[in-house]
Amino acid sequence: MRLDQDLANFTSSAVMIILGTSNDALQPEIGRAVGAVARPEQGEIDLVLSVWQWPGTVSNVRANGRLSVTFARPSDYVSYQAKGRAAVIPCTDEHLARAAAYIDATSAVLADLGLGREISAPWLITRDLTALSLSVESVFVQTPGAKAGQMLQVGR
Amino acid sequence: MTIRLRDLSACFEGVIPSIIATADPDGMPNISYLSHVQLVDDKHVALSNQFFSKTAVNVRANPAAALLVVDARNGEQYRLDVRFERSLQSGELFQEMAVQLRAASAQIGMADIMRLRGIDIYGVVAIRHVPSPIGKTDFLPSASPQFSAAAEIVRRLSEETEIGAIIDTMLDGLRDRLGFGNSMALLMDRAGERLFTIGSRGYERTGIGSEVAMGDGLIGMAAAERRPIRVSDMSRVRRFGSAIRSSAAEENRTRTIQLPGLSDAMSQIALPMVAHGVLRGVLFVESARRLAFSHDDNAALAIIAAQAAGAIALSESEAVDGVPALASPLDTSTAGRPFRVVHHAYDDSVFIENEYLIKGVAGRLLVHLLRLYLEEGRVEFSNREIRLADDLRLPDYKDNLETRLLLLRRRLEDKGAPIQLIRVGRGRIRLALAGSPFLKEHR
Repeated sequence: MRLDQDLANFTSSAVMIILGTSNDALQPEIGRAVGAVARPEQGEIDLVLSVWQWPGTVSNVRANGRLSVTFARPSDYVSYQAKGRAAVIPCTDEHLARAAAYIDATSAVLADLGLGREISAPWLITRDLTALSLSVESVFVQTPGAKAGQMLQVGR
Repeated sequence: MTIRLRDLSACFEGVIPSIIATADPDGMPNISYLSHVQLVDDKHVALSNQFFSKTAVNVRANPAAALLVVDARNGEQYRLDVRFERSLQSGELFQEMAVQLRAASAQIGMADIMRLRGIDIYGVVAIRHVPSPIGKTDFLPSASPQFSAAAEIVRRLSEETEIGAIIDTMLDGLRDRLGFGNSMALLMDRAGERLFTIGSRGYERTGIGSEVAMGDGLIGMAAAERRPIRVSDMSRVRRFGSAIRSSAAEENRTRTIQLPGLSDAMSQIALPMVAHGVLRGVLFVESARRLAFSHDDNAALAIIAAQAAGAIALSESEAVDGVPALASPLDTSTAGRPFRVVHHAYDDSVFIENEYLIKGVAGRLLVHLLRLYLEEGRVEFSNREIRLADDLRLPDYKDNLETRLLLLRRRLEDKGAPIQLIRVGRGRIRLALAGSPFLKEHR
């Protein structure tokens, strides 16, 4: 499905990116990404993450492809969740450049909110980066409030 | 090192949002930030549920969930495997979270949005530290998690009025909030200069009614010295007591109830319970771990013991005598088989069906009540009439009657005796009989 351009822009900005997966025993797992590259025309978002820090997330995607990702803006809690199928792919130069830019921008935003680099450092790391290529099937509004959970976009 | 939930209290300050992942029955995950996670005890957390969220729906179908919490002091992350257990719409914990949520939401201008619907209780199955690139400071326990646990235990103690409930609240609190699962509370028998066990947790036998002489062992020493006494490594301490096999047969022979205890205890601590300058009892805690009680544990336990002592003293001084019991009609319908109660006057020991029950004042009390039942058919009694009864020769400690009755009640429960003592409001008790007693008295 084609992604809304505003949404694509949002995913590529300095927002927190959290990943949900589950194994075949339906035990969920959590991970964090350090950057996203959206291709709205193809309905795809690549998520860059440290396999060293989040091995469970990567092995779950490898096993069954199921992936949910929430993008949340730290300043006002505006959040969207995308769900779909993903594959583990090697990091490209674009991914690495995106991760570096994301970490710089997000560190600055968090610092403005009172969370200095010494606090955010454990979340924003580049050790053993890999990428998950998500084929988006549905998008939900996740911002706290009455619209939380409402579907924004759905794939055909 | 094993991470305990209470070590992570800095993660539950609401500074850095927590994250929860769930999965629907088809395995499709859901990932979401949480507005509020609260530490309930060492094995449970509570999550607020303001909306009919996908998270709430998922865990009701598949209770397995993952939680990520962040230490607000250094950003370190901890992964918790949790399982949804139940939802609460009312109660103390609900109210506490509702108030906190209202305050937090008002600050960010979302007071109306964040109305608490319910709180979901999750059991914590496992805790892992998420790999961190920052040096070796991968685990920074909270400075003194014991004190927030102690504050909660003390808060609960302050709600209790009856001595039995005060003791239970203290021992449950030690187990559930401080993780000290092997404990006992002893109260002072001021007439006899002895302590007797009134409650315990974590032992095969409760040991209710077992006695310790002043100065005897760790408990007796803590009482005599009125100081906490701590042993952190008992591996070289011979425990003579543990060699004695305690059994009903042994009780019957010696007319003595054995003190419970861990045979492999490595750490023990005994704390005096003093209020109004008077020793009320001793709190005893032990563990199979070496160095189980830190300096802060010691301090937290001392606070709890002192608070319980104060509550007990207040309960005793406020003990009401109750209105005199009306003579209820003779209860001739007592169903069940007859049973035999034997009383030995020389030490007031009482045996029910040849099983040793108790001796001393508590034994005398039971026989007194039983006589009244057999002579007048009455089953309800007020503390006042018991206090005034001549044949009881009660020691001249007005405030001890409540604890005697409590001891008797708990020992009867413990033995599953065909006589039970039931508290029917303040200052009144009732005999519940599961058969017709036959009382034999040996002078």
